[in-house]
Amino acid sequence: MDSLLQQLERFSEVLAVSRTTHVSTWDAATVRRALQWARYLRHVHRRFGRHARIRKALERRLQNQWKQEGGSGPAPALGLTNFQALGHCDLLLSLRLLANRALGDAAFHYLLQELFPGPGVPGAEEGTLQGSLALLARRRAAVHMLRSSAYRENPVLQEDSLMKTQAELLLERLQEVGEAHAEGPGRFLSRLWEHLPHNNFLKVTAAALLLPPSSPRHQEEESELGNPRRAGERGRELLHWLLGKSEVIVAFCRNLPAGLLTSVAGRHPEVSRVYLGLLTDWGRHLHYDLQKGIWIGTESQDVPWEELYGRFQSLCQAPPPLKDEVLTTLKSCKAQDGDFEVPGLSIWTDLLLALESGA
Amino acid sequence: MAQDSVGLSSDYQFWIQKLSVWKQASTLETQQDTCLYLPQFQEFLRQMYEALKEMDSNTVIERFPTIGQLLAKACRNPFILAYDESQKILIWCLCCLINKDPQNSGESQLNSWTRGLLSHILAAFRSDIKEVDLFTQGLGYAPADYYPGLLKNMVLSLVSELRENHLNGFNTQSRKKICLPVSAVLCLWLRHLPSLEKAVLHLFEKLVSSERNCLRRIECFMKDSLLPEAACHPAIFRVVDEMFRYALLETEGAPEVLAAMQVFTRCFVEALEKENQQPKFALKTYFPYASPSLVMVLLQRPKDIPQGLWHRPLKRISEMLKEIVEDETQGSSGGPFENWFLLAHFGGWADIAAEQLLTSVGDAEPPEALLWLLAFSSSPGDGPQQRAQTMVEVKAVLSHLGRLLRSPTLSAGNLLAAAEESREGDPRPPACQQLTRRLLLNFLLWAPGGRAMARDVITLMARTDEIMHEIVGFLDQTLYRWDHLGVDAPGSRKLARELLAELRGQA
Repeated sequence: MDSLLQQLERFSEVLAVSRTTHVSTWDAATVRRALQWARYLRHVHRRFGRHARIRKALERRLQNQWKQEGGSGPAPALGLTNFQALGHCDLLLSLRLLANRALGDAAFHYLLQELFPGPGVPGAEEGTLQGSLALLARRRAAVHMLRSSAYRENPVLQEDSLMKTQAELLLERLQEVGEAHAEGPGRFLSRLWEHLPHNNFLKVTAAALLLPPSSPRHQEEESELGNPRRAGERGRELLHWLLGKSEVIVAFCRNLPAGLLTSVAGRHPEVSRVYLGLLTDWGRHLHYDLQKGIWIGTESQDVPWEELYGRFQSLCQAPPPLKDEVLTTLKSCKAQDGDFEVPGLSIWTDLLLALESGA
Repeated sequence: MAQDSVGLSSDYQFWIQKLSVWKQASTLETQQDTCLYLPQFQEFLRQMYEALKEMDSNTVIERFPTIGQLLAKACRNPFILAYDESQKILIWCLCCLINKDPQNSGESQLNSWTRGLLSHILAAFRSDIKEVDLFTQGLGYAPADYYPGLLKNMVLSLVSELRENHLNGFNTQSRKKICLPVSAVLCLWLRHLPSLEKAVLHLFEKLVSSERNCLRRIECFMKDSLLPEAACHPAIFRVVDEMFRYALLETEGAPEVLAAMQVFTRCFVEALEKENQQPKFALKTYFPYASPSLVMVLLQRPKDIPQGLWHRPLKRISEMLKEIVEDETQGSSGGPFENWFLLAHFGGWADIAAEQLLTSVGDAEPPEALLWLLAFSSSPGDGPQQRAQTMVEVKAVLSHLGRLLRSPTLSAGNLLAAAEESREGDPRPPACQQLTRRLLLNFLLWAPGGRAMARDVITLMARTDEIMHEIVGFLDQTLYRWDHLGVDAPGSRKLARELLAELRGQA
């Protein structure tokens, strides 16, 4: 086990170097050794993929390493981030070397011979580097092709294929992290929040919370380790983290489009509670300007009337019980304020009036 | 060898021109043109590679001075890179240009340029989805990890959009028309069960909601859905069949579902025959629970048999089914429901049996085999005695109708009475009632006396909406069957058409 971990560490170093100008010192023999090493680790991946204990240990070591390297920081991830990456480590190394201009001509020539031996036995392509590299190029082109000629951003965000993909990946990663460390997902998500652009991250989170729960049959298809995802639990850690971090949930409720939030609130009652709480909070910050005849805020970060109304309107279009919950909340706020029917005295009265006439 | 290289040279000129026109395939026209030529271009690339691999990089440049242009243009066309093995062959060609030990600046530059292009193929179009790239990197995924999932999602959303466009009528003004070839859809369905199920459910919704009682339209929708063609692959057939089975069970044999299943089976058999002279898969893979010989007989096309000889396969089918169903020791070929379900796929046979009985009414004793078949198809769950009872009832109705045919007192009322009164005066079970209604309707279409009273009889018969619905369905199915079998009966056909139009107008 220890020697395995050592190998892992040494190869990670090699991988790191493969991107630098240091490779100018590499000759054909060095390239060969590096490729062999990668092949060996791929073999490890195949061999121990089903061996939970070893896999976990390797996973943990890689994740720690990644964290130390400042993974998901401003610099892109440096290499082996998890056990699954071991399965592609030869691909990763090859791509880096192919792109590295510092690699000498002779070494490069050798690399090409190794990677692209040419047409050989048909059908023996499965699992060869040549096959994987060609497939990667092919898929990349296909994505580009589909994106430029056939793709339109789906207005229903959670059904947009790019969003869905990111959401699925997020949940997949969370599951892996959760399996290696119990407290892993929370810390992992916090790190992502620190390093990734917030807007996209929030949208992906919403999309992930709206993914359909996996059915038992699909679990069997998709589970690799025979460790099936329990239906409906996929977003549990994500939800837990989201609700636990006030900075995040506030940004979530503030910045995401009303329709998307309504869908999430409809699906997850815990979110609807927090969302309504925030909305009522924001509403209380507004006061009535007698001259202009509108509700306005005093500070720049106050949520304007239009937005507040828009969000409530969207919530009122949701199916029960959410819709009822929202109306009940509004009515009780109105009652607390004195149950006025005249506009201009309580924002809740005015909202209800506007919602009724708009409906 | 010289001849090959001459051929290659002229091809080369052709392709360099083509590539210049296509550029990056960003317009609809260039895209369509590119797609048309992809297989030939790949073949050309292969030939180029075979020529290039024998040369060193200097010779290559001598021989094909503009090779750089050709390869560069090809590499910038995403359609080429996405097609089959073209990207691999391009890489091989580029490898031929690399010099292990460049002697001068010219050779170094070529190396540099080639490496750049290789990089491009493997890392092209990176800035496309920057946000996604950034996010996935943050998660620790490499493109190799997430591209399959991304492609799957993009294709799935395209397919569902296509399907919606398709079934709602093409509205291609707002976007370009994209057609997925059948093979691509087939691949998708084979790899991803939910999308197949969705396709079938979508079809069901469409059929049951808007196309009731018009089999021709149902056939159009069926064919457009690509399901019959795809069902030539047994795995897909089995899934679709299962869904029909459940639909029938849930709706307790709703006539719409039955009709749809029959249309599906017809289109499926057509597709099967079109595809191969020799079926690729044994029949047993499509119908694993059924007796293979029974399936073979059912699959026979009445069209291929002279009308006068239809009684033969009918007799055969009836005898085989009888043996399977009534012999309790036979466990392997499924119970009554399974066999009824099988027969229901090829519903035409039962209809033909009814017609045969009517066209020969009054001539001779109705064949027991046909009576049995009819009784079974309308009530598979009956025990042998019950079935015998039904057969007796039907026989009585037929003979009564036969007598009326020759009687001067033929009237609508008499006809109806003949069909509806049972021998003992007790009400018949509903399935039997349906059967006798069908016989009466056949009578109206075929017997000369019957035609004159058709409208009156139908008015008397159609006491409820359901029955009216049944009659409309019968007429539509009959016309549909006659069209497909090329039945020559101009008088009956005209009558049926007129009746159908009138009744539809009323509904």
